[in-house]
Amino acid sequence: MIAAAERLRRNVGVEVGAALNLVGALVKYLSLAFLFPAALAVGYSEPVWPFLAAGAITAGAGYGLERAARGKERVGIREGFLVVALTWLFAAAAGALPYLLGDEPQLQSPINAYFESMSGFTTTGASVLPDVEGLSHSVAMWRQFTQWLGGMGIIVLALAVLPRLRVGGRQLMESELPGPELEPLAASIRDTARRLWTVYVALTGLEILALALLGWMGADDSMSLFEAVAHAFSTMPTGGFSTEARSIEAFGAATQWTIVVFMALAGSNFVLMYRALLRRNLRAYARDEEFRLYLGLLFLGAMAVLVELLHVGLYSGKEAVRNAVFQTTSIMTTTGFASVDFNEWTTVAPLSVMVLVALMFVGGSAASTGGSIKVVRHVLIGKILRRELDQTLHPDVVQPVRLNRIPVDERTVRAVIAFVLLYVGIFVGGAVLLVVEATRTGVDVTPFEAIAASATTLGNVGPALGFAGPIGSFEPFSDLSKVIMICLMWIGRLEILPVIVLFTRAYWRA
Amino acid sequence: MKIVVLGAGQVGATIVEALHSDHDVTVVDLDGARLQALSYRYDVSTVRGNGATRRVLQDAAIKRADLMIACTSRDEINLVAATLVKKLSEAQTIVRTSNPEYLEAWQERQIDVDFMVSSELETAHAVSRTIGVPAAKQTDVFADGQVQIVEFDVPRAGGSDNLTGVPLTEAAERAASRPLTGAYDEVVGLPLREAKVPADSKVASIIRADRMLVPRGEQSILPGDRIIVIGSPDAARAWSGIMARGERRVDDVVIFGAGATGLAIARVLLDQRIRVRLIEPLEERAREVAEELPAARVYCASGIDPDFIERERLGQARAAVFAMREDSKNLYAAMLAKVHGIGFTIGIVHEPVSVEVFERAGIDVAVNPRSVTAEEIVRFAHDPRIRQLAMLEGDRFEVLDITVRDSSKLVRTPFKELPMTGSLIGAIVRNGTAIFPHGDDRLEPGDRAIIFTESSRVAEVEKAL
Repeated sequence: MIAAAERLRRNVGVEVGAALNLVGALVKYLSLAFLFPAALAVGYSEPVWPFLAAGAITAGAGYGLERAARGKERVGIREGFLVVALTWLFAAAAGALPYLLGDEPQLQSPINAYFESMSGFTTTGASVLPDVEGLSHSVAMWRQFTQWLGGMGIIVLALAVLPRLRVGGRQLMESELPGPELEPLAASIRDTARRLWTVYVALTGLEILALALLGWMGADDSMSLFEAVAHAFSTMPTGGFSTEARSIEAFGAATQWTIVVFMALAGSNFVLMYRALLRRNLRAYARDEEFRLYLGLLFLGAMAVLVELLHVGLYSGKEAVRNAVFQTTSIMTTTGFASVDFNEWTTVAPLSVMVLVALMFVGGSAASTGGSIKVVRHVLIGKILRRELDQTLHPDVVQPVRLNRIPVDERTVRAVIAFVLLYVGIFVGGAVLLVVEATRTGVDVTPFEAIAASATTLGNVGPALGFAGPIGSFEPFSDLSKVIMICLMWIGRLEILPVIVLFTRAYWRA
Repeated sequence: MKIVVLGAGQVGATIVEALHSDHDVTVVDLDGARLQALSYRYDVSTVRGNGATRRVLQDAAIKRADLMIACTSRDEINLVAATLVKKLSEAQTIVRTSNPEYLEAWQERQIDVDFMVSSELETAHAVSRTIGVPAAKQTDVFADGQVQIVEFDVPRAGGSDNLTGVPLTEAAERAASRPLTGAYDEVVGLPLREAKVPADSKVASIIRADRMLVPRGEQSILPGDRIIVIGSPDAARAWSGIMARGERRVDDVVIFGAGATGLAIARVLLDQRIRVRLIEPLEERAREVAEELPAARVYCASGIDPDFIERERLGQARAAVFAMREDSKNLYAAMLAKVHGIGFTIGIVHEPVSVEVFERAGIDVAVNPRSVTAEEIVRFAHDPRIRQLAMLEGDRFEVLDITVRDSSKLVRTPFKELPMTGSLIGAIVRNGTAIFPHGDDRLEPGDRAIIFTESSRVAEVEKAL
């Protein structure tokens, strides 16, 4: 038995022990996050024990794993993928504990609870809750808080504060932070992580302030401080959970426009933002090719939707503009808020719905909290295609692909192509599986709705179409469908490769 | 002046040749045979050894030297030697480098050397001057580009009047709109005083069958002559227009070979908004250059592949530069390019003898980086008052850039009364602006005079001013 285990250990090329040990440590520290909803529960005189128990279980499990699995202190590149992938699975499990323990009647099934938690951490914002407003304050806030934790990344946060990850953290961060290449903000990866989180926290604070001010000044009566915090925790990570059943439709125009601005900021590059703030000039934005395409696509998408909405006369002028801008921004940045139930557009304004589904494949910028393919990859793909066309005419020309005038490594170019292919492949696979499963179980899902569901979960957007539309719920999907979508959210958040590589034989070989 | 020269290669030898008669020159080199050859030809003393060591520098009596020229082919040896010399003596230092980084650092005063010359950059400037002024054999720039000296080979073939067949009124209009551009036939073959020489320019010299003529009013430029012209950039362009018989300015250049020289040439040409295509056979180097020069188009190909030349329509380029590592390859590629229709070819040559070979073979211009570098170094080495000095036609003529002293006897003498001494004042720079003097203008103290003169008269001219 021991000899067999020893042989297995020698044949496996990954230091599983070291990886699990680190995962345990990360999960252990995650238990501290439960203090926030616990405090809120005390304030609202709601049951505190589910959060305390969840915290204790998480801490215990993490500590146990840390003790049980021993290995080298430093994890390598290979172990990094395992650490990131497993940490996210465990974090989602920990996040589901308060739902299960708290006797929340809508989340009694473990699959539903896990779906809701994974949807939160991956900032998808797809919900299985039929009645959001039935949640207690503390549980509702926990749900928002999981998004906020996942937005800039659990591991990026750990890098910023945990001394243990001082070395070898770069690999971990690259696996978690969106975008094809990590552009460091400081000499050490730790300072980079800290600065990113500082920008993130500052923007969240600013949004809370802006929303709360709207409520206090009477511009929006339904906006309380609780709502302000809950929605800031959902906007900045481009999550999409709301405490209101009708999402952002429940608020006034001023609130909706404020949220549009913060969604656009959340989907833009934080590294760029930090630099622009530091140097106090906005020229970096004007020069950044990704940012220009980002704004361009937002504008084009909004115009396309607006033209159709006005053409069919669904809304009057101002309302049409607001809904068009809000919905394109929300979907493209992969937030997933709704200012209106666009599921109702399917029959009257089908082009707009197509535009929105297409925008699910755009996503936010690199180093933002947005999901999906990311604008920078679209920029690069465009340039790669242009180069290919040029090279068919001039086969000998040597032409590096440039991003903001800086030559991009050929390895990155290949990685971008591979990413987009994998992304599309997994999306198609997901959609097919969802259709087959829906047919098997007799759930009423049209192929287009399955496409939307696959795209929305893989891109961490949130709302799909049909019963899973912006005001609806993913509850009617079968358990297997939910598991598929949990996987899609997980793979999408970690940008595919760190997860997929775990399923290759080469990864485990010595 | 006592001068120590490190390196007795091509650059060193050229420098020694230019300086040995007026100065006390010591040459240092590792190669005894080279030193011996130099000491037989010129009256110079030699020291054998590594010039970047204190002992050898002391053997060369660096303490008493006024100037040290480090022109070995190795940058770091040159820099170390210059650093040592700074500590060991009061001598000024000149360093030759092939690395533009070092040049940049020196220009920003981060390397303590009095003068630094990059072969690649000098070559690039030489090429660009030739391309900017087509048909020019060799050009030099004075007073921050306000004064140019250009050498032309006057085309032999019968002049094609580019105004024939055009209605007279239109021809007159066209002539009026381009006052500086004279026609070939209005200049060549006519006595100079009747020829329509472009404004702000002077014919400094006519070289006919290896004899230099001092141009006077009754003489005329004949086909087959080589002429040297001094004038403003506009005038130089007008002259090149005349000599090129109205050909269009070069705006599209192909460079074969993207080594350090090719890269420097490309960079200088791109700065002048000329379209540049680079051809480099080594894939890695091609990629490097493509990354460095976004504005250039880089091909990874052999320059002697006719299919490639055909496919990319290289024959339609206005000019081509051949900057590959081997002279023989450059010559072959240039001939091939001519076959494919490239009109103007410039060869970068590495062996001194190649200049003549290239020109005999019909390559339009041959640039030798080493002689260009030596020329630049000699300019600095001369009288400190002389800011620049061009050596034209080997070293038979020199162009001096001298500041006129108060005590000069020639101050305030009208130009037409100046003694004829086989030299010519091409231009004067007064308060930063160039003036192209006429007979009634006078020299003022403090003027910078650009003087074209025979080498043997340099000392005489310097004394007179």
